[in-house]
Amino acid sequence: MPDPSMPPRVLVVDDGSLIRLYYRQTLEAAGFQVLEAINGIEALEKVLSERFDLVIVDINMPKMDGMSFLRALRSQEGHAGALPALVISSESGEQDAAAARTAGANFYLVKPVTPESLALHVAVLTGVPA
Amino acid sequence: MHPEKPPAPEIRITDPEFRRFRDFFYRRTGIVFSDAQRTYVDRRLTDCIVAAGSKGFPDHFARLLVEPAEMERLISAFTVNETYFYREDYQLHCLTSSLLPQITAAKRPGQTIRLWSIPCSTGEEPYSIAIWLLENWPQVDSWDIEIIGSDIDSRVLQAAEAGIYSERSLMRLPRPLVARYFTVIGDGQYRIDAELRGSVRFSRVNLIDQGETSRWRNIDVVFCRNVLIYFDEVSRRNAANNLYDSMAPGAFICLGHTESMSRISPLFHVCRFDEAIVYQKPGEAGHA
Repeated sequence: MPDPSMPPRVLVVDDGSLIRLYYRQTLEAAGFQVLEAINGIEALEKVLSERFDLVIVDINMPKMDGMSFLRALRSQEGHAGALPALVISSESGEQDAAAARTAGANFYLVKPVTPESLALHVAVLTGVPA
Repeated sequence: MHPEKPPAPEIRITDPEFRRFRDFFYRRTGIVFSDAQRTYVDRRLTDCIVAAGSKGFPDHFARLLVEPAEMERLISAFTVNETYFYREDYQLHCLTSSLLPQITAAKRPGQTIRLWSIPCSTGEEPYSIAIWLLENWPQVDSWDIEIIGSDIDSRVLQAAEAGIYSERSLMRLPRPLVARYFTVIGDGQYRIDAELRGSVRFSRVNLIDQGETSRWRNIDVVFCRNVLIYFDEVSRRNAANNLYDSMAPGAFICLGHTESMSRISPLFHVCRFDEAIVYQKPGEAGHA
């Protein structure tokens, strides 16, 4: 069970260092604990070895992209397999969002995402009371 | 008992030596010294000779030809410019208000935007660009932003990569941003956030060496401030040509506020934005 006294842990997966920094700054200011990964492979290693409350994942990344990561994540048993996943992508087509949902995303946002919107969606998906 | 250290022999640079050094330095760096700078050059040069333990100009000159480390020290002595974060911030305003909207209009979200700070000295400018974008550009997460910092002096690049700055370098940066992106490490020194440090790629480039600049292509915005003024006309034009080749069609170049590309090269269009005058490589943006 998650410890309610601890801030929710969020894993940000994006190959852009400025993007990771932007999300981290925003989420840390909103009271979340943030860890980072630069591609799907690194993210998978992290979610299998540590406990998170949410993973935020980009779609277009080198090595293992967001779709492959989501499919690999959902094939896991236990906590990792059930980890909520928020996709934030530059792809704005409806079919992109549908494909991400099919691959295992719980929610899909199109970039750019404002700090307010990011903090709000992460709070909802990690079950932080308003 | 230690024998008394003999006084260091006085080192003088003769007129032919000065001319020889000036030609040599110009060929290597494109930087030209006038006769009026003789005293300045002599002082810096003798400092280098003494610091290196060379016997005099002929000895040191011979070493410069075969010892890259001495050459680096010499370039450092003659090119270090003090700079600071958010210097010439009107160009940063221009970047987000005028340049990036044009550049992104011709790209698909997620594509790469390449920004080049050359010369970048100890990193204040490229890091300022990164901080400015994070703080002022709502689309910062929509693009793959590459920031490259280049300089002829590999010693300043090492300092840039270390990312440690004095209070003085941060004097123009608003305090909340200092708190957000830096850690105090004591003694008036600050270390830049590791992630921010990782967002800038540093690479040694000699602006007048086409072999070196040609490694960089499809740059969208160049910040090339206060270096062309050190060059003579030929080097200045070579540098402008090299930058032109590295830029994407429709890309922009920002110079120092006293510099004008129109007097250097006819290759670029002048763009007068509200915030700044910048120069543009002709061609349709996004068709690199």
